[in-house]
Amino acid sequence: MSTTANGALWRKNPILAWREIEGEIVIISPNNSVLHELNETASFVWKRLDGRRSGAEIATGLAAEYDVKPEDALGDIETLVEELASRQLLVPADNPSTERTE
Amino acid sequence: MSTSAPIGATPLMDGLIARTTCKRVPISVHFDLTYRCNERCVHCYLDHNDHGELTTIECVEVLEQLAAAGTLFLTFSGGEIFLRIDFFEILAAARRLHFDISLKSNALLITPERAARLRELGVRRIQISVYSADPAIHDAITKVPNSFSRTIAAIPRLVEQGLKVKLACPLMQQNLLAYRGVIELAEKLGVPYVLDLTITPMMDGSETTLAHRASVSSLLPVLRDPALHACKPRPESHSFSAREAIPAVTGSAVSSGIESSAYEDLPCSAGHNSCYISPYGDVLPCVQLPQAAGNLRREKFEDIWYHAPQLERLRAIRESQLPFCSRCEIRSYCERCPGLALMEGGDLLGAYERACDLAEQKARLAGLTDPVSALHQERAASISAPTGNEIASLVTDSSPN
Repeated sequence: MSTTANGALWRKNPILAWREIEGEIVIISPNNSVLHELNETASFVWKRLDGRRSGAEIATGLAAEYDVKPEDALGDIETLVEELASRQLLVPADNPSTERTE
Repeated sequence: MSTSAPIGATPLMDGLIARTTCKRVPISVHFDLTYRCNERCVHCYLDHNDHGELTTIECVEVLEQLAAAGTLFLTFSGGEIFLRIDFFEILAAARRLHFDISLKSNALLITPERAARLRELGVRRIQISVYSADPAIHDAITKVPNSFSRTIAAIPRLVEQGLKVKLACPLMQQNLLAYRGVIELAEKLGVPYVLDLTITPMMDGSETTLAHRASVSSLLPVLRDPALHACKPRPESHSFSAREAIPAVTGSAVSSGIESSAYEDLPCSAGHNSCYISPYGDVLPCVQLPQAAGNLRREKFEDIWYHAPQLERLRAIRESQLPFCSRCEIRSYCERCPGLALMEGGDLLGAYERACDLAEQKARLAGLTDPVSALHQERAASISAPTGNEIASLVTDSSPN
Protein backbone atom coordinates (compact mmCIF):
# COMPACT_ATOMS: atom_id res chain seq x y z
CA MET A 1 0.00 0.00 0.00
CA SER A 2 1.60 3.20 -1.10
CA THR A 3 -0.29 5.45 1.20
CA THR A 4 1.52 8.69 0.82
CA ALA A 5 3.55 8.40 -2.36
CA ASN A 6 0.35 8.24 -4.39
CA GLY A 7 -0.84 11.43 -2.82
CA ALA A 8 -3.35 9.92 -0.39
CA LEU A 9 -3.91 12.04 2.67
CA TRP A 10 -4.52 10.58 6.11
CA ARG A 11 -5.76 11.94 9.38
CA LYS A 12 -6.00 10.65 12.91
CA ASN A 13 -9.05 8.54 13.66
CA PRO A 14 -11.17 11.07 15.58
CA ILE A 15 -12.45 8.48 17.99
CA LEU A 16 -9.01 7.86 19.48
CA ALA A 17 -7.69 9.08 22.80
CA TRP A 18 -4.13 10.28 22.56
CA ARG A 19 -1.63 12.49 24.30
CA GLU A 20 1.98 13.52 23.93
CA ILE A 21 3.84 12.41 27.04
CA GLU A 22 7.41 13.64 27.34
CA GLY A 23 7.82 13.88 23.57
CA GLU A 24 6.22 10.55 22.71
CA ILE A 25 2.66 9.91 21.62
CA VAL A 26 0.46 7.49 23.57
CA ILE A 27 -2.75 6.37 21.84
CA ILE A 28 -5.73 4.37 23.10
CA SER A 29 -8.30 2.75 20.86
CA PRO A 30 -11.59 2.88 22.74
CA ASN A 31 -13.11 0.03 20.76
CA ASN A 32 -10.60 -2.56 21.93
CA SER A 33 -8.79 -0.84 24.85
CA VAL A 34 -5.43 -1.23 23.22
CA LEU A 35 -2.62 1.10 24.19
CA HIS A 36 -0.18 2.15 21.49
CA GLU A 37 3.06 4.04 21.94
CA LEU A 38 4.97 5.82 19.24
CA ASN A 39 8.65 6.56 19.43
CA GLU A 40 10.01 10.05 18.96
CA THR A 41 10.18 10.05 15.18
CA ALA A 42 6.84 8.31 14.76
CA SER A 43 5.41 10.91 17.13
CA PHE A 44 6.84 13.65 14.91
CA VAL A 45 4.95 12.17 11.98
CA TRP A 46 1.75 11.55 13.98
CA LYS A 47 1.46 15.18 14.97
CA ARG A 48 1.57 16.20 11.33
CA LEU A 49 -0.92 13.66 9.98
CA ASP A 50 -3.73 16.17 9.83
CA GLY A 51 -5.44 15.28 6.55
CA ARG A 52 -3.87 18.25 4.82
CA ARG A 53 -0.12 17.65 4.73
CA SER A 54 1.21 15.12 2.21
CA GLY A 55 3.74 12.45 2.99
CA ALA A 56 6.33 14.38 0.99
CA GLU A 57 5.74 17.50 3.06
CA ILE A 58 6.09 15.60 6.30
CA ALA A 59 9.18 13.80 4.97
CA THR A 60 10.84 17.12 4.26
CA GLY A 61 10.30 18.17 7.84
CA LEU A 62 11.40 14.82 9.22
CA ALA A 63 14.57 14.87 7.13
CA ALA A 64 15.45 18.34 8.32
CA GLU A 65 14.72 17.57 11.95
CA TYR A 66 16.56 14.25 12.15
CA ASP A 67 19.26 14.68 9.50
CA VAL A 68 18.19 11.84 7.21
CA LYS A 69 17.73 11.74 3.45
CA PRO A 70 14.26 12.89 2.36
CA GLU A 71 13.72 9.72 0.33
CA ASP A 72 14.56 7.58 3.36
CA ALA A 73 12.24 9.69 5.50
CA LEU A 74 9.43 9.26 3.00
CA GLY A 75 9.93 5.50 2.94
CA ASP A 76 9.78 5.35 6.71
CA ILE A 77 6.64 7.47 6.73
CA GLU A 78 4.92 5.23 4.19
CA THR A 79 5.74 2.19 6.29
CA LEU A 80 4.52 3.88 9.45
CA VAL A 81 1.30 5.10 7.85
CA GLU A 82 0.59 1.63 6.56
CA GLU A 83 1.00 0.22 10.05
CA LEU A 84 -1.09 2.92 11.71
CA ALA A 85 -3.84 2.57 9.13
CA SER A 86 -3.90 -1.21 9.55
CA ARG A 87 -4.57 -0.59 13.25
CA GLN A 88 -7.31 1.90 12.35
CA LEU A 89 -5.42 4.69 14.05
CA LEU A 90 -5.53 6.64 10.80
CA VAL A 91 -8.42 7.11 8.40
CA PRO A 92 -8.37 8.53 4.86
CA ALA A 93 -8.69 12.28 4.98
CA ASP A 94 -11.72 12.23 2.71
CA ASN A 95 -13.51 9.70 4.90
CA PRO A 96 -15.71 11.50 7.42
CA SER A 97 -16.65 8.22 9.09
CA THR A 98 -15.90 7.79 12.77
CA GLU A 99 -17.02 4.19 12.72
CA ARG A 100 -15.78 2.10 15.63
CA THR A 101 -14.75 -1.08 13.95
CA GLU A 102 -12.93 -3.97 15.52
CA MET B 1 13.27 5.44 13.37
CA SER B 2 14.38 3.50 16.40
CA THR B 3 13.66 -0.18 16.88
CA SER B 4 11.72 -1.99 19.54
CA ALA B 5 9.82 -5.25 19.79
CA PRO B 6 6.14 -5.72 20.43
CA ILE B 7 5.61 -6.04 24.15
CA GLY B 8 2.82 -7.23 26.41
CA ALA B 9 0.31 -5.35 28.43
CA THR B 10 1.90 -4.94 31.80
CA PRO B 11 5.33 -3.69 30.73
CA LEU B 12 3.81 -1.09 28.42
CA MET B 13 1.39 0.28 31.01
CA ASP B 14 3.97 0.01 33.76
CA GLY B 15 6.38 1.95 31.59
CA LEU B 16 3.81 4.69 31.11
CA ILE B 17 3.10 4.78 34.83
CA ALA B 18 6.80 4.86 35.70
CA ARG B 19 7.49 7.69 33.27
CA THR B 20 4.56 9.80 34.34
CA THR B 21 5.28 9.24 38.01
CA CYS B 22 8.92 10.17 37.57
CA LYS B 23 8.08 13.28 35.54
CA ARG B 24 4.99 14.13 37.59
CA VAL B 25 2.65 14.06 34.64
CA PRO B 26 -0.98 13.96 35.87
CA ILE B 27 -1.84 11.11 33.53
CA SER B 28 -5.02 10.14 35.38
CA VAL B 29 -7.65 12.54 36.72
CA HIS B 30 -10.92 11.82 38.49
CA PHE B 31 -13.29 14.76 37.91
CA ASP B 32 -16.55 14.85 39.85
CA LEU B 33 -18.91 17.08 37.87
CA THR B 34 -21.60 17.21 40.54
CA TYR B 35 -22.36 15.94 44.01
CA ARG B 36 -26.09 16.05 43.29
CA CYS B 37 -27.60 12.61 43.00
CA ASN B 38 -30.88 10.91 42.24
CA GLU B 39 -30.14 8.18 44.77
CA ARG B 40 -29.52 8.50 48.50
CA CYS B 41 -27.25 5.57 49.20
CA VAL B 42 -26.90 4.92 52.91
CA HIS B 43 -23.09 4.69 52.75
CA CYS B 44 -22.45 7.70 50.48
CA TYR B 45 -19.69 10.07 51.60
CA LEU B 46 -20.99 13.15 49.75
CA ASP B 47 -23.07 16.22 50.63
CA HIS B 48 -25.58 16.21 47.77
CA ASN B 49 -26.47 19.89 47.98
CA ASP B 50 -25.10 22.10 45.22
CA HIS B 51 -22.65 24.59 46.71
CA GLY B 52 -21.75 26.25 43.43
CA GLU B 53 -20.66 23.79 40.76
CA LEU B 54 -18.24 24.79 38.04
CA THR B 55 -20.12 26.16 35.04
CA THR B 56 -19.94 24.55 31.63
CA ILE B 57 -17.34 27.06 30.50
CA GLU B 58 -15.31 26.53 33.67
CA CYS B 59 -15.42 22.76 33.20
CA VAL B 60 -14.20 23.05 29.62
CA GLU B 61 -11.39 25.38 30.73
CA VAL B 62 -10.37 22.81 33.32
CA LEU B 63 -10.32 20.11 30.64
CA GLU B 64 -8.15 22.29 28.42
CA GLN B 65 -5.70 22.78 31.26
CA LEU B 66 -5.64 19.05 32.00
CA ALA B 67 -4.97 18.21 28.35
CA ALA B 68 -2.10 20.70 28.30
CA ALA B 69 -0.68 19.15 31.47
CA GLY B 70 -0.65 15.68 29.89
CA THR B 71 -3.75 14.05 31.35
CA LEU B 72 -4.91 11.11 29.24
CA PHE B 73 -7.11 8.97 31.52
CA LEU B 74 -10.14 11.01 32.56
CA THR B 75 -12.95 9.71 34.77
CA PHE B 76 -16.18 11.69 35.10
CA SER B 77 -18.09 10.85 38.22
CA GLY B 78 -20.35 12.34 40.90
CA GLY B 79 -22.96 12.41 42.37
CA GLU B 80 -24.82 11.35 39.28
CA ILE B 81 -23.21 12.82 36.19
CA PHE B 82 -26.36 12.64 34.08
CA LEU B 83 -28.04 15.16 36.37
CA ARG B 84 -25.89 17.84 34.77
CA ILE B 85 -27.91 19.15 31.86
CA ASP B 86 -24.65 20.12 30.15
CA PHE B 87 -23.07 16.70 30.60
CA PHE B 88 -22.92 15.85 26.91
CA GLU B 89 -21.53 19.29 26.16
CA ILE B 90 -18.71 18.65 28.62
CA LEU B 91 -18.24 15.16 27.22
CA ALA B 92 -17.98 16.54 23.69
CA ALA B 93 -15.28 18.93 24.85
CA ALA B 94 -13.40 16.01 26.42
CA ARG B 95 -13.67 14.14 23.10
CA ARG B 96 -12.27 17.13 21.18
CA LEU B 97 -9.35 17.19 23.60
CA HIS B 98 -8.62 13.48 22.99
CA PHE B 99 -9.05 12.16 26.53
CA ASP B 100 -9.55 8.47 27.27
CA ILE B 101 -12.94 8.78 28.93
CA SER B 102 -14.40 6.62 31.69
CA LEU B 103 -17.64 7.24 33.57
CA LYS B 104 -19.11 6.25 36.92
CA SER B 105 -22.89 6.28 37.14
CA ASN B 106 -25.92 4.61 38.66
CA ALA B 107 -27.29 4.38 35.09
CA LEU B 108 -30.80 5.41 36.11
CA LEU B 109 -30.95 8.06 33.38
CA ILE B 110 -29.27 6.14 30.56
CA THR B 111 -31.73 5.77 27.71
CA PRO B 112 -30.90 3.97 24.46
CA GLU B 113 -30.34 7.37 22.84
CA ARG B 114 -27.93 8.45 25.55
CA ALA B 115 -26.06 5.15 25.34
CA ALA B 116 -25.60 5.71 21.62
CA ARG B 117 -24.38 9.25 22.24
CA LEU B 118 -21.81 7.97 24.73
CA ARG B 119 -20.49 5.67 22.04
CA GLU B 120 -20.33 8.48 19.50
CA LEU B 121 -18.31 10.55 21.94
CA GLY B 122 -15.78 7.77 22.42
CA VAL B 123 -16.51 6.87 26.02
CA ARG B 124 -14.52 3.70 26.63
CA ARG B 125 -15.62 2.48 30.05
CA ILE B 126 -18.51 2.93 32.43
CA GLN B 127 -18.67 1.65 35.98
CA ILE B 128 -22.15 1.12 37.38
CA SER B 129 -23.02 0.69 41.05
CA VAL B 130 -25.03 -2.44 41.82
CA TYR B 131 -25.46 -3.47 45.44
CA SER B 132 -27.26 -6.75 45.12
CA ALA B 133 -29.03 -9.02 42.67
CA ASP B 134 -31.98 -8.79 45.04
CA PRO B 135 -33.98 -5.68 44.07
CA ALA B 136 -35.21 -5.18 47.62
CA ILE B 137 -31.67 -5.02 49.02
CA HIS B 138 -30.40 -2.77 46.24
CA ASP B 139 -33.35 -0.38 46.52
CA ALA B 140 -33.06 -0.28 50.31
CA ILE B 141 -29.45 0.91 49.97
CA THR B 142 -30.18 3.50 47.27
CA LYS B 143 -33.47 4.52 48.93
CA VAL B 144 -35.04 4.75 45.46
CA PRO B 145 -37.86 2.34 44.59
CA ASN B 146 -37.27 0.39 41.37
CA SER B 147 -33.73 1.70 41.08
CA PHE B 148 -32.44 -1.86 40.65
CA SER B 149 -34.61 -2.62 37.64
CA ARG B 150 -33.79 0.71 36.01
CA THR B 151 -30.05 0.29 36.55
CA ILE B 152 -30.00 -3.27 35.26
CA ALA B 153 -32.09 -2.34 32.22
CA ALA B 154 -29.46 0.20 31.15
CA ILE B 155 -26.58 -2.25 31.10
CA PRO B 156 -27.46 -4.11 27.87
CA ARG B 157 -27.98 -0.73 26.18
CA LEU B 158 -24.40 0.19 27.00
CA VAL B 159 -22.97 -3.20 26.13
CA GLU B 160 -24.75 -3.14 22.77
CA GLN B 161 -22.98 0.11 22.01
CA GLY B 162 -19.61 -1.51 22.63
CA LEU B 163 -18.86 0.26 25.90
CA LYS B 164 -16.91 -1.63 28.52
CA VAL B 165 -19.29 -1.94 31.46
CA LYS B 166 -18.18 -2.96 34.93
CA LEU B 167 -20.37 -3.53 37.96
CA ALA B 168 -19.10 -1.99 41.19
CA CYS B 169 -20.45 -3.35 44.44
CA PRO B 170 -19.39 -1.78 47.72
CA LEU B 171 -19.96 -4.35 50.44
CA MET B 172 -21.53 -3.25 53.71
CA GLN B 173 -23.70 -4.74 56.41
CA GLN B 174 -26.83 -4.48 54.30
CA ASN B 175 -25.54 -6.46 51.32
CA LEU B 176 -22.63 -8.48 52.64
CA LEU B 177 -24.18 -11.83 51.87
CA ALA B 178 -25.49 -10.65 48.53
CA TYR B 179 -22.13 -10.47 46.83
CA ARG B 180 -22.43 -13.91 45.25
CA GLY B 181 -25.61 -12.76 43.58
CA VAL B 182 -23.79 -9.76 42.16
CA ILE B 183 -21.10 -12.04 40.78
CA GLU B 184 -23.72 -14.26 39.16
CA LEU B 185 -25.49 -11.19 37.80
CA ALA B 186 -22.26 -9.92 36.27
CA GLU B 187 -21.62 -13.29 34.69
CA LYS B 188 -25.15 -13.35 33.31
CA LEU B 189 -24.73 -9.87 31.86
CA GLY B 190 -21.29 -10.76 30.54
CA VAL B 191 -19.50 -7.92 32.27
CA PRO B 192 -16.71 -7.76 34.86
CA TYR B 193 -17.33 -6.69 38.43
CA VAL B 194 -15.48 -5.33 41.39
CA LEU B 195 -16.38 -5.88 45.02
CA ASP B 196 -15.20 -3.11 47.30
CA LEU B 197 -14.72 -3.59 51.02
CA THR B 198 -14.14 0.11 51.57
CA ILE B 199 -16.80 2.21 53.23
CA THR B 200 -15.29 5.61 53.96
CA PRO B 201 -16.09 8.50 56.27
CA MET B 202 -17.87 11.41 54.64
CA MET B 203 -15.68 13.97 52.93
CA ASP B 204 -16.33 16.45 55.74
CA GLY B 205 -14.88 13.94 58.18
CA SER B 206 -18.18 12.82 59.63
CA GLU B 207 -18.18 9.11 60.43
CA THR B 208 -21.93 8.47 60.19
CA THR B 209 -21.41 6.30 57.11
CA LEU B 210 -19.18 3.94 59.06
CA ALA B 211 -22.21 2.59 60.90
CA HIS B 212 -22.92 0.62 57.72
CA ARG B 213 -19.44 -0.86 57.47
CA ALA B 214 -19.25 -4.62 57.88
CA SER B 215 -17.07 -5.81 60.73
CA VAL B 216 -13.83 -7.55 59.85
CA SER B 217 -15.06 -10.80 61.39
CA SER B 218 -18.24 -10.69 59.32
CA LEU B 219 -16.12 -10.32 56.20
CA LEU B 220 -14.43 -13.68 56.74
CA PRO B 221 -16.67 -15.58 54.29
CA VAL B 222 -15.90 -12.95 51.67
CA LEU B 223 -12.18 -12.99 52.34
CA ARG B 224 -12.15 -16.77 52.06
CA ASP B 225 -13.98 -16.75 48.74
CA PRO B 226 -11.67 -17.37 45.79
CA ALA B 227 -14.07 -15.33 43.66
CA LEU B 228 -12.64 -12.25 45.36
CA HIS B 229 -9.53 -12.63 43.24
CA ALA B 230 -11.66 -11.14 40.49
CA CYS B 231 -11.61 -7.90 42.45
CA LYS B 232 -8.15 -7.25 41.17
CA PRO B 233 -8.42 -7.58 37.43
CA ARG B 234 -5.22 -7.93 35.55
CA PRO B 235 -4.82 -6.54 32.05
CA GLU B 236 -5.06 -9.23 29.45
CA SER B 237 -1.90 -9.86 27.53
CA HIS B 238 -2.15 -8.51 24.03
CA SER B 239 0.62 -7.81 21.62
CA PHE B 240 0.93 -7.07 17.98
CA SER B 241 2.97 -8.98 15.48
CA ALA B 242 4.38 -5.76 14.14
CA ARG B 243 6.69 -6.00 11.20
CA GLU B 244 10.36 -5.83 12.01
CA ALA B 245 10.66 -2.83 9.72
CA ILE B 246 8.01 -0.88 11.66
CA PRO B 247 8.98 -1.15 15.25
CA ALA B 248 7.88 2.35 16.11
CA VAL B 249 4.51 1.22 17.47
CA THR B 250 3.78 -1.27 20.23
CA GLY B 251 0.45 -2.34 21.65
CA SER B 252 -1.15 -3.87 24.71
CA ALA B 253 -4.45 -3.96 26.54
CA VAL B 254 -5.17 -1.03 28.86
CA SER B 255 -5.60 -1.60 32.55
CA SER B 256 -6.89 0.92 35.05
CA GLY B 257 -3.43 2.37 35.35
CA ILE B 258 -3.77 2.55 39.08
CA GLU B 259 -2.50 -0.72 40.47
CA SER B 260 1.03 -1.22 39.29
CA SER B 261 4.39 -2.32 40.58
CA ALA B 262 5.77 0.76 38.84
CA TYR B 263 4.84 2.80 41.91
CA GLU B 264 7.49 0.90 43.87
CA ASP B 265 8.03 2.64 47.21
CA LEU B 266 5.18 5.11 46.79
CA PRO B 267 2.03 4.58 48.87
CA CYS B 268 -0.18 5.06 45.80
CA SER B 269 -0.58 7.17 42.68
CA ALA B 270 -2.28 10.11 44.43
CA GLY B 271 -0.42 13.34 43.79
CA HIS B 272 2.27 11.59 41.77
CA ASN B 273 0.53 10.98 38.46
CA SER B 274 -3.12 11.26 39.45
CA CYS B 275 -5.45 13.63 41.23
CA TYR B 276 -9.06 14.49 41.93
CA ILE B 277 -11.10 17.57 41.04
CA SER B 278 -14.32 18.41 42.87
CA PRO B 279 -17.43 19.98 41.29
CA TYR B 280 -16.35 23.24 42.92
CA GLY B 281 -12.88 23.25 41.39
CA ASP B 282 -10.91 22.02 44.35
CA VAL B 283 -7.84 19.97 43.40
CA LEU B 284 -7.14 17.09 45.78
CA PRO B 285 -4.59 14.29 45.55
CA CYS B 286 -7.48 11.80 45.67
CA VAL B 287 -11.17 11.74 46.50
CA GLN B 288 -10.23 9.75 49.60
CA LEU B 289 -7.54 12.22 50.62
CA PRO B 290 -9.52 15.39 51.32
CA GLN B 291 -6.73 17.95 51.54
CA ALA B 292 -7.33 20.59 48.89
CA ALA B 293 -4.12 21.71 47.22
CA GLY B 294 -5.79 24.63 45.45
CA ASN B 295 -8.88 25.77 43.59
CA LEU B 296 -9.20 26.11 39.83
CA ARG B 297 -11.36 29.22 40.12
CA ARG B 298 -8.39 31.03 41.60
CA GLU B 299 -5.35 29.23 40.20
CA LYS B 300 -4.20 27.45 37.08
CA PHE B 301 -4.04 23.67 37.26
CA GLU B 302 -0.33 23.56 36.51
CA ASP B 303 0.43 26.05 39.29
CA ILE B 304 -1.42 23.84 41.76
CA TRP B 305 -0.05 20.55 40.42
CA TYR B 306 3.58 21.57 40.32
CA HIS B 307 3.80 24.00 43.22
CA ALA B 308 1.20 23.30 45.92
CA PRO B 309 2.98 22.54 49.21
CA GLN B 310 0.35 19.95 50.09
CA LEU B 311 1.28 17.92 47.03
CA GLU B 312 5.00 18.37 47.58
CA ARG B 313 4.70 16.98 51.10
CA LEU B 314 2.67 14.04 49.85
CA ARG B 315 5.19 13.28 47.11
CA ALA B 316 7.99 13.04 49.63
CA ILE B 317 6.38 10.12 51.46
CA ARG B 318 7.85 6.68 50.93
CA GLU B 319 6.40 3.42 52.16
CA SER B 320 9.78 2.46 53.58
CA GLN B 321 9.65 5.51 55.86
CA LEU B 322 6.25 4.91 57.42
CA PRO B 323 6.72 4.65 61.18
CA PHE B 324 4.63 1.55 61.80
CA CYS B 325 3.84 0.06 58.44
CA SER B 326 7.40 -0.06 57.12
CA ARG B 327 8.31 -2.63 59.75
CA CYS B 328 5.05 -4.54 59.71
CA GLU B 329 5.61 -8.25 59.14
CA ILE B 330 2.29 -8.68 57.38
CA ARG B 331 2.52 -5.58 55.20
CA SER B 332 2.10 -7.64 52.04
CA TYR B 333 -1.43 -8.56 53.16
CA CYS B 334 -2.40 -4.96 53.81
CA GLU B 335 -4.19 -2.52 51.52
CA ARG B 336 -3.37 0.60 53.45
CA CYS B 337 -4.80 3.79 51.97
CA PRO B 338 -3.01 7.02 52.93
CA GLY B 339 -6.28 8.96 52.74
CA LEU B 340 -8.08 6.61 55.08
CA ALA B 341 -5.06 6.62 57.38
CA LEU B 342 -5.53 10.38 57.62
CA MET B 343 -9.32 10.35 57.86
CA GLU B 344 -9.64 7.46 60.26
CA GLY B 345 -6.33 7.43 62.08
CA GLY B 346 -5.59 11.14 61.94
CA ASP B 347 -2.13 10.59 60.47
CA LEU B 348 -1.24 10.47 56.79
CA LEU B 349 1.82 8.39 57.67
CA GLY B 350 0.20 6.23 60.27
CA ALA B 351 -1.39 2.84 60.46
CA TYR B 352 -5.13 2.59 60.95
CA GLU B 353 -7.04 -0.06 62.75
CA ARG B 354 -9.27 -1.29 59.95
CA ALA B 355 -6.40 -1.99 57.54
CA CYS B 356 -4.41 -3.74 60.29
CA ASP B 357 -7.37 -5.92 61.26
CA LEU B 358 -8.04 -6.90 57.66
CA ALA B 359 -4.36 -7.65 57.02
CA GLU B 360 -4.27 -9.92 60.07
CA GLN B 361 -7.32 -11.82 58.85
CA LYS B 362 -5.91 -12.20 55.36
CA ALA B 363 -2.55 -13.37 56.71
CA ARG B 364 -4.32 -15.87 58.95
CA LEU B 365 -6.32 -17.20 56.01
CA ALA B 366 -3.07 -17.51 54.06
CA GLY B 367 -1.75 -19.86 56.74
CA LEU B 368 0.32 -17.62 59.01
CA THR B 369 0.16 -18.50 62.68
CA ASP B 370 -1.16 -15.69 64.86
CA PRO B 371 -0.16 -12.81 62.58
CA VAL B 372 0.02 -9.45 64.31
CA SER B 373 0.42 -6.09 62.63
CA ALA B 374 3.14 -3.70 63.72
CA LEU B 375 0.52 -1.37 65.17
CA HIS B 376 -0.92 -4.06 67.37
CA GLN B 377 2.52 -5.35 68.34
CA GLU B 378 3.43 -1.87 69.43
CA ARG B 379 0.32 -1.50 71.48
CA ALA B 380 0.83 -4.87 73.08
CA ALA B 381 4.35 -4.03 74.06
CA SER B 382 3.33 -0.55 75.17
CA ILE B 383 6.42 0.87 73.58
CA SER B 384 6.27 4.40 72.29
CA ALA B 385 7.07 4.93 68.66
CA PRO B 386 8.01 7.98 66.62
CA THR B 387 4.97 10.00 65.74
CA GLY B 388 3.80 10.65 62.24
CA ASN B 389 4.65 14.32 62.63
CA GLU B 390 8.26 13.55 63.45
CA ILE B 391 8.59 11.37 60.41
CA ALA B 392 6.78 13.96 58.31
CA SER B 393 9.45 16.51 59.06
CA LEU B 394 12.14 14.03 58.06
CA VAL B 395 10.60 13.20 54.72
CA THR B 396 9.87 16.84 53.98
CA ASP B 397 13.53 17.65 54.46
CA SER B 398 14.52 14.95 51.99
CA SER B 399 11.90 15.93 49.44
CA PRO B 400 13.04 15.59 45.81
CA ASN B 401 12.66 18.55 43.48
